[in-house]
Amino acid sequence: MSTRGRLILATLCGLVLAGIVHIVTVRAIPYFAQGDAFSLARSSESLDHPLRIHSLAVAGVPAPAEAWLPIPDPAVAVGVCAYDLDDGPMRVSARTGALTLSIAVHSRKGAFYAVTDQAAVRGSLDLVIMTRAQYDEALASEDENQVNRDVRIVAPEREGYAVVRVIAALPSQSAMANDAVDAVSCSIDAPEEPTDANTKPGG
Amino acid sequence: MNAFTRIMTGSTSERTSASDPKSFRERGARIGGVLGGFLRRTSRTGFVLYALALGALLGLASADFATRGGYPFGGTTIGAWTAWPRTGSADADPYSRAVNSRRGEIPLAIGEGLLLTAAVDDSGRTLEAGCSYAIGGVVPPARAWTLTIAGRGAADPAKTRLREGFTSTEVLRSTDDRFVIAVSQDVQSGNWLPMPRPRGPVRLALRLYDTPVAASVGSLDRNTLPAITRLGCSR
Repeated sequence: MSTRGRLILATLCGLVLAGIVHIVTVRAIPYFAQGDAFSLARSSESLDHPLRIHSLAVAGVPAPAEAWLPIPDPAVAVGVCAYDLDDGPMRVSARTGALTLSIAVHSRKGAFYAVTDQAAVRGSLDLVIMTRAQYDEALASEDENQVNRDVRIVAPEREGYAVVRVIAALPSQSAMANDAVDAVSCSIDAPEEPTDANTKPGG
Repeated sequence: MNAFTRIMTGSTSERTSASDPKSFRERGARIGGVLGGFLRRTSRTGFVLYALALGALLGLASADFATRGGYPFGGTTIGAWTAWPRTGSADADPYSRAVNSRRGEIPLAIGEGLLLTAAVDDSGRTLEAGCSYAIGGVVPPARAWTLTIAGRGAADPAKTRLREGFTSTEVLRSTDDRFVIAVSQDVQSGNWLPMPRPRGPVRLALRLYDTPVAASVGSLDRNTLPAITRLGCSR
C-alpha cells in the first residue's frame, strides 16, 4: 500500500475511533459524574424527611446557598429523598395543603413516576417505591378486606431519589412552601409493621 | 508521536510562507518531499499511534462540546419557544442525560410539568438585556405557571434581585384575562420584570406545572404561547 493510502486509512480509522469514543463517553458521563443530582442526593439517605435543595427566600432573607440546581424556579421549593431499596421499600407520604405539591421519582436514568397532590385521597398521598420482589411480597401478604390507599410503584433500579416540589404562588407563601417540603416524610417501610397492626381486629 | 509533531510543524511553516506564489510552490514541493520521505520511513506503529491519538482527541473533545451548556437537541420549537418534554423522563436521549448529570439538574418529569425556554423574540432576534420586551397573551392550560428570566451562567450572589419572575397567581391581568409582562431595564407600570443584567443575551423560561400539554407537545402552537415582542433598544 502506498504511503498516501496508509495515511488516509489511518485517518479514517481515527475518525471511526473518534465516533466510538464519543458515544461511549456521552453514555458514561452519568455514571462517572460527581456533581449530578443522583450523587448529591445520597446525603439525604439518612434523613426521614426530604433534604431541601432549593429554599425560597422568606421576608427578604435570601435563600441559603445549599442549592446545586443550576437554574431553579424562584417560586418553587425543592427537596430530595434518596432511597436504596435494599433497606426495604421506601414510603413517601405527604399531606396536601393549600399549595400545589408534586412528587417525582427518579432513577439514575430519569424520572419514571410523577404524581401531583390532585391524586391525593382524603388529603394524603402515599407512595411506596419497591422492587419487583417486594411488590410481589406485598401483594401476597395483603389482606383482601383491607382498603389500601398506597400507590405502589415498581422501581426499575435499586437506587434513586424522590423529588418533592412545592409551588409558592405568592411571595407570602414562601415560608409555607419551605415547611411543606419538610413536612413530607420519607421512611423505610418495615416489612412486618403494616400486617401486624391490622390483622388482629378482623380475626 | 514524532510523525505527528513533524506533520504539524510542516503545515505551519507552509502557512507562514504563503506570500510569494513561486517560492511557496518550491517550498511546498520541498516540504512535501521531506514529508513523503518521512512518512515512507515511518513504520506501521506511527500510523497506529496517529489513528489512536486522533480518535481519542476528537472523540473526547466532541463529547465535551456536545454535553456542555444546554441540551443539544430533543426540544420542540414552537415559534420563539422551545419545549423540553423528554429531558427528565427515563427515555431521555443520552445527550440530555449527560447534560443533566454535568449540571446537577433535576428536570421536570412529564407528570409534573413542562419547561419551555426562549432565547429569541417572535421575529427571531436574540433577546438582549439592553432592549425592552413585551411578553403577553395566553399560556397553555396549567394549574400554575411561572415565567422567569435569567442571563447565561450563574447569578451574582452579591446582588439582590428585585424580581426574577412572575407566577400565574401574581401576574396582573386585564379584563379579558390576558396579561402583558414588560421586561425592561427601566421601571414600567403593570407587570415589570427587570432585566437580570446590564448587557448580554438573556433567556426566558416558562414552566407549566401540572399541565396536560406535557404529554402532547404537538398540540401547542404559536397562538397558545405568550408572544415576545421587542419594543425597542436603548443602547
